[in-house]
Amino acid sequence: MNGFSIEAEELSRSFGEFRAVDRVSFRIARGEIFGFLGANGAGKSTTIRMLTGLLAPTSGTARVAGHDVSRERGTVKTLIGYVSQKFSLYLDLPAWENVLFFGRAYGLTLGEVRKRGEEMFSATGLSGLESSLTAALPGGTRQRLALACALLHHPAVVFLDEPTAGVDPVARRYFWQLIRSLSREGTTVFVTTHYLDEAEDCGRVGLMAEGHLVALDTPAALKKAHVPERVLIARGQLRRSAADELRALPGVVDVQTFGAVLHLRVDRKRWAAPSLQSWLGPGVVVEEGEPSLEDVFLAVAGR
Amino acid sequence: MIAALARTVAIAGKEVLHVRRDPRTLYLALIMPVVLLLLFGYAVSFDLDHAPLRLIDQDGSESSRLLARAFSRSTEFDLFPARDDEGLEREFRRNRTLGALIVPRDYGRDLCRGRRVRVELVLDAADAATANQILAKAEAIALSASPRPEGAITPVEVRVRTRYNPEERSAVFVVPGLAAYLLAISAVLLTALAIAGEWERGSMEQLFASSVGRLEIILGKLLPYLALGMLQLLLVLAVGATVFEVPIRGSLLLIFCAGALFLAGMLGQGLLISVLARNQLVATQAGTLSSMLPSLLLSGMVVPLDNMPRVLQWLSNVVPARYFVHALRAVLLKGAGPSLVWPDLAAMAAFAVVIVTLATLRFRRTVA
Repeated sequence: MNGFSIEAEELSRSFGEFRAVDRVSFRIARGEIFGFLGANGAGKSTTIRMLTGLLAPTSGTARVAGHDVSRERGTVKTLIGYVSQKFSLYLDLPAWENVLFFGRAYGLTLGEVRKRGEEMFSATGLSGLESSLTAALPGGTRQRLALACALLHHPAVVFLDEPTAGVDPVARRYFWQLIRSLSREGTTVFVTTHYLDEAEDCGRVGLMAEGHLVALDTPAALKKAHVPERVLIARGQLRRSAADELRALPGVVDVQTFGAVLHLRVDRKRWAAPSLQSWLGPGVVVEEGEPSLEDVFLAVAGR
Repeated sequence: MIAALARTVAIAGKEVLHVRRDPRTLYLALIMPVVLLLLFGYAVSFDLDHAPLRLIDQDGSESSRLLARAFSRSTEFDLFPARDDEGLEREFRRNRTLGALIVPRDYGRDLCRGRRVRVELVLDAADAATANQILAKAEAIALSASPRPEGAITPVEVRVRTRYNPEERSAVFVVPGLAAYLLAISAVLLTALAIAGEWERGSMEQLFASSVGRLEIILGKLLPYLALGMLQLLLVLAVGATVFEVPIRGSLLLIFCAGALFLAGMLGQGLLISVLARNQLVATQAGTLSSMLPSLLLSGMVVPLDNMPRVLQWLSNVVPARYFVHALRAVLLKGAGPSLVWPDLAAMAAFAVVIVTLATLRFRRTVA
């Protein structure tokens, strides 16, 4: 192994005429948390399915945990864990039976599964829920169970396809604590998400748009590269028509309304916090903000 | 190899848990066949039993009374004397009578003189099968009742012995056919549902992402239902033997070998359907149709294959139920051994291998 946990080279997949993933290349280091972003249909899931050996690439190669996913699919599968987009454990079985089954499906002996299952249950905060019917567990708990099941065989890489979709914020935060502790232990985490605040927690972020990998870097570098404008946040007594008026001004690139707050991206040379403040008049507070990944997403995907 | 076996066992074990969680599967598998067997066994009967027959005796002689007595002594007929055939049409329509036996005037006199006599039988042939049976039975009774002229020698005497089912009870004939029919339906349905459910749930993708192989999934899914199917066969045979007194003359082991091969084919068929359909609704419908119709119509269960058009006879060659029904009847009723039923076993084995291979290949291509 050369230190990279996942290597994709010119990875492509077509469905008939439609090119779902087009010559995507990236390298992910061992223990890295890699966030994979993009709109629905941008090619995220297709890429994951190729990396996990569920889908054969039309062209290009991918190596996961040091093995080629096309030629050594069997080996790759023993080294990865996968939590798919759709919750796919057995709802009609108790939580612990899911663990026993998936552990043995990954080739562990019953003794190994029991030992490792208990470890994973306590690590993911599921202790005491062993005999609960899976269907009766709340969404966030189910996802932790799915994660526990995917980690039983000590995978070197885990693929999480929108693991927190439809999960409440508290449960989401807990889930991400688990992801970070996995990474600390040296497990590579490849995660897709629609929540941009989650992407801030990733070591690096890849952005997919229409089958292409359009951006890849750390969140901070992405912001710097893709949001060269100044970000200003205005709150206070704003006129109802303020957003529209601002959009018409020269040097204002983008205005987003978040409730009673305006997020602006403006030309650094033309605008700063004081000048905007005086334009908006008294009763309004303007301060300079950090660009969010949302700004990056809009800047890149909106191009 | 050992790892593959362990994974197969894990899948089979999980399937057992699913069945235990949802006892409806067990009802479907174990109670339904018995209920259906009882219903069909009692209902599907081709035996003539006290068929109402109108007797119009225009002669009224000693000989004609003798003939009438021969008819009423048999359990097949109930005779209702009447003067003429007035209102016969109406009784046919109301299903009050199935026919009329008309003994002509001078029957006794002509018989004594050694002349040829004619007895007329008017039948309701709306149900052709019953009419045929009445005809045959009536003919036999009439022949045996007519006294042979003194000193006359009949050149050929036909003595009929019906072997294997001497009392000619329908149940003996129907139960083996029903066994095949019931096993076919539940085996195809159960696997089709079990695997289509895995697709619908999305857990199939999870399985594919693990180190479980396709063949392991297939075998793990089929084995529990094979065991369930064998239990069904045992149950159906037990009910057949105790309730309908179907004899078991041959070896039980041979019957279960035939059953296992037949079930393997049916489970494979369910598997193929579920791989193609991928949802439980379509799988249920396709499974019911594809198992019910051929095993009901093309197996020789009810309709003898020899009487069918050539195309259907040819088609029945690829219906495993045909071989199973044949083997079951041969072993149960005739006590046939392996040397006689091996072609049936071979045909069922071939079907099973072909269909499981097809399903596995098709299965392999689905995701990758």
